[in-house]
Amino acid sequence: MPTASPNARSSLVWLLVACGFLLAPAALAGETRHVLVLYSNHRLLPANLEFEAGLRETLADSTELSAEFLDYPRFDGASYIRALALFLNEKYARRPPGVLVAAGEESLDFLLRHRAELFPRIPMVHGAVARSFLSSLPPLPADVVGVPIEYDFPGTIDLALRWHPRARRLVVVTGTSAQDHAWEAKLRGEISQFQDRVTVEFLVGLPTDAILKRLSELGGDAVVFTPGYFEDGVGRQFSPREAARLMAAAAAAPVYGPFDTFIGTGIVGGSMPNFGAMGRQAGEIANALLAGVAPTALRLPEIMLPTVNVDWRQVRRWDIDANAIPGDAIVRFKEPTFLEAHRNEAIMAAAVFLLQAGLIAWLLVERRRRRLANLAVQQQRFELAHAARLAVAGELTGAIAHEINQPLGAILSNADTADLLLASGADQRDELRAILADIRRDDLRASVVIQRLRALLARQPVERQPFDLNSAVREMEPVLQPEARRRGVALEVRPAATTAPLVGDRVQIQQVLLNLVLNALDAVNGLPEARRTVAVSVERDADRVILVVRDRGHGIAPEHLPKLFDSFFSTKRRGMGLGLSIARTLVEVHGGRIRAESRLGEGAVFQAEWPVAGDAGSLGPA
Amino acid sequence: MTTLSPLIHVVDDDESLRTALLRLLDAAGFEARGYASTGDFLLRPPPDRPGCVLLDVRMPGPSGLDLQAALRCQGSPLPVVFLTGYADVAASVRAMKAGAVDFLTKPVEREALFEALQRALDRDAAQRAARAEAKRLRAAFAALTPRERAVFDRIVAGQINKQIADALGIAERTVKLQRAQLMAKLGANSAAELGRLAERLQHLPD
Repeated sequence: MPTASPNARSSLVWLLVACGFLLAPAALAGETRHVLVLYSNHRLLPANLEFEAGLRETLADSTELSAEFLDYPRFDGASYIRALALFLNEKYARRPPGVLVAAGEESLDFLLRHRAELFPRIPMVHGAVARSFLSSLPPLPADVVGVPIEYDFPGTIDLALRWHPRARRLVVVTGTSAQDHAWEAKLRGEISQFQDRVTVEFLVGLPTDAILKRLSELGGDAVVFTPGYFEDGVGRQFSPREAARLMAAAAAAPVYGPFDTFIGTGIVGGSMPNFGAMGRQAGEIANALLAGVAPTALRLPEIMLPTVNVDWRQVRRWDIDANAIPGDAIVRFKEPTFLEAHRNEAIMAAAVFLLQAGLIAWLLVERRRRRLANLAVQQQRFELAHAARLAVAGELTGAIAHEINQPLGAILSNADTADLLLASGADQRDELRAILADIRRDDLRASVVIQRLRALLARQPVERQPFDLNSAVREMEPVLQPEARRRGVALEVRPAATTAPLVGDRVQIQQVLLNLVLNALDAVNGLPEARRTVAVSVERDADRVILVVRDRGHGIAPEHLPKLFDSFFSTKRRGMGLGLSIARTLVEVHGGRIRAESRLGEGAVFQAEWPVAGDAGSLGPA
Repeated sequence: MTTLSPLIHVVDDDESLRTALLRLLDAAGFEARGYASTGDFLLRPPPDRPGCVLLDVRMPGPSGLDLQAALRCQGSPLPVVFLTGYADVAASVRAMKAGAVDFLTKPVEREALFEALQRALDRDAAQRAARAEAKRLRAAFAALTPRERAVFDRIVAGQINKQIADALGIAERTVKLQRAQLMAKLGANSAAELGRLAERLQHLPD
């Protein structure tokens, strides 16, 4: 169709254009950062997980990571490899990776064989590939780079022998897969250097049960080394890590292994390349290649150095000298010291603790200060009470002087009489004897008054003695009666019929009586004689001892009653307002209470009461 | 009229002291009697004898000062010596103003006590003498006839015999006679003496 030819041509152009448009996204997709990692083994192998974690950690977030698994050595064979290659070809035809990562020797081997058909000209990074394996290969293409590792079997065995200096047997366990045989071969080549130090026994190709039984029977002179195995003597499949776990659990001797994935299974440790570090190393190289750095321009370390990994729990279990562990070793499962594990919490707790301790200390200091202050206050109260007694003594001077001068006057007169009688020369012996008897009696009378006064006025330490309130009141009569007489007041003192036992300071209680009586005497001052009476009585009931002072004075105004015992409250023109306040303090110090009742115009009753002192005699605050 | 020895009244509620004082006064040759209270003293009125009161200030019931006041109201006050256990100024001033002989404090020195009592007794004696003299004077004066009394008044007023005779309408000789009689009755020797008598009569103690 001639007419169609121009159309056909233009259609072709359009098709090319369309193809161009269709190709453009593909080219763009190549631009997106896509890394394909191919693992030698299956995807849950611990080594692979750690490797990939390191890889992901290093690659940029925007970089897409695909992972494929050869599942070697479980799956093997030419047809499987062909099918897998076909699968990868189909799978990544539309989304080719920018960088390939070969994780493991089998993966590297596979990719070197199939890269040209599957991922032409895609640069490749290898990881977790032993240097010995690389050296068995022809030189790598320039766009295949990586840092080789060294599975440090001899380093691990050396470590074991150093940490167990008494070990005489080295038991080596390997399996039956191709990889297991490769490791066995490697081991047999490297083990010779230890044969002058220990006897080496290989357990190769046994069923797992038999292996475990043998290991459980080992004595204290053995150490075990195993790279684990993929397959045991009866064809059971394992991951080397799984195998290592079973062995470590069963063995009666310490187990060592060359892979860091074994740490935590119960093996002691070993000199190990670190799969996480390998992943990170591969990731860094991939980043550089994705950024367009030429593979030949990369400056890479010659090898990934192994490091000593050790399980601290096993160190403890096997009593390994901690000093033998190199300083750069990675110590795992070491119970971190409390401070290491919870530094912030510890600092916080310590701070709180210190704060609390400080607070407690402060409170204790405060408490002590308060106690001292209380003591000082009490001391001051007693000082004040003493001062008040002195003041009262001043008031009583007249009565006291009278009371002392009376017997003194009698004594002097009697002495003068005796003098005169003697001078007269007459025999007046009977008279003289009577005079001397009177002098003695008056002398004692004066001294009783002075003693009473001394007891009342002396600054004595506060006592805590049992005493009878009756006698304490009676003792005050020589002081009170003269004063009452001086003021023309009839003072009646009526003790209780029974004893009135109290425990405390007799003088302080007497001061209470003194204050109350002097107040009462003031209250009746200037009243007709019939009302100038004050009655003091001691009363006693089942559990109380009561001191009552009653007067027939004007009484107390109701509005004054509540303030009566306050300091510096006084209705007297010259009163300090301390007498009743001190009286209350002294009553309360003895565990008692004081109250006043009054009817205006009819007088007042002051009543101080204390609990009866029992045998314990525990009155007042301690 | 027999001269009685003085009696000292000791009023003190303190029995011991009272006994000692009585004992001392007895040993010193005084006659003394004790009273336990003011009331006791008043209930047992002392005989009319020379003497004095040794009085305590503070006693149950009426005080020594009360007793002093009561004694003053009586016709023949005994001099009072106070003896107190405690000499407060107010009481001593009051006592002295009321005529106390002394205000002593216990314990009292023997000499001081005796000296004060002696002064009291001397004062009592003097008062008694004055009272006796006044009594005699009044008796003598009461013995004058009305005419002699009239003459006396005029002599004391300073009139001479002639003026008196003229005023009374009697002879000057009669005036002279009566003058001599009344001077004899009154125990006076001169008109000046009569004047002093008249003065004393006007201010006689009770």
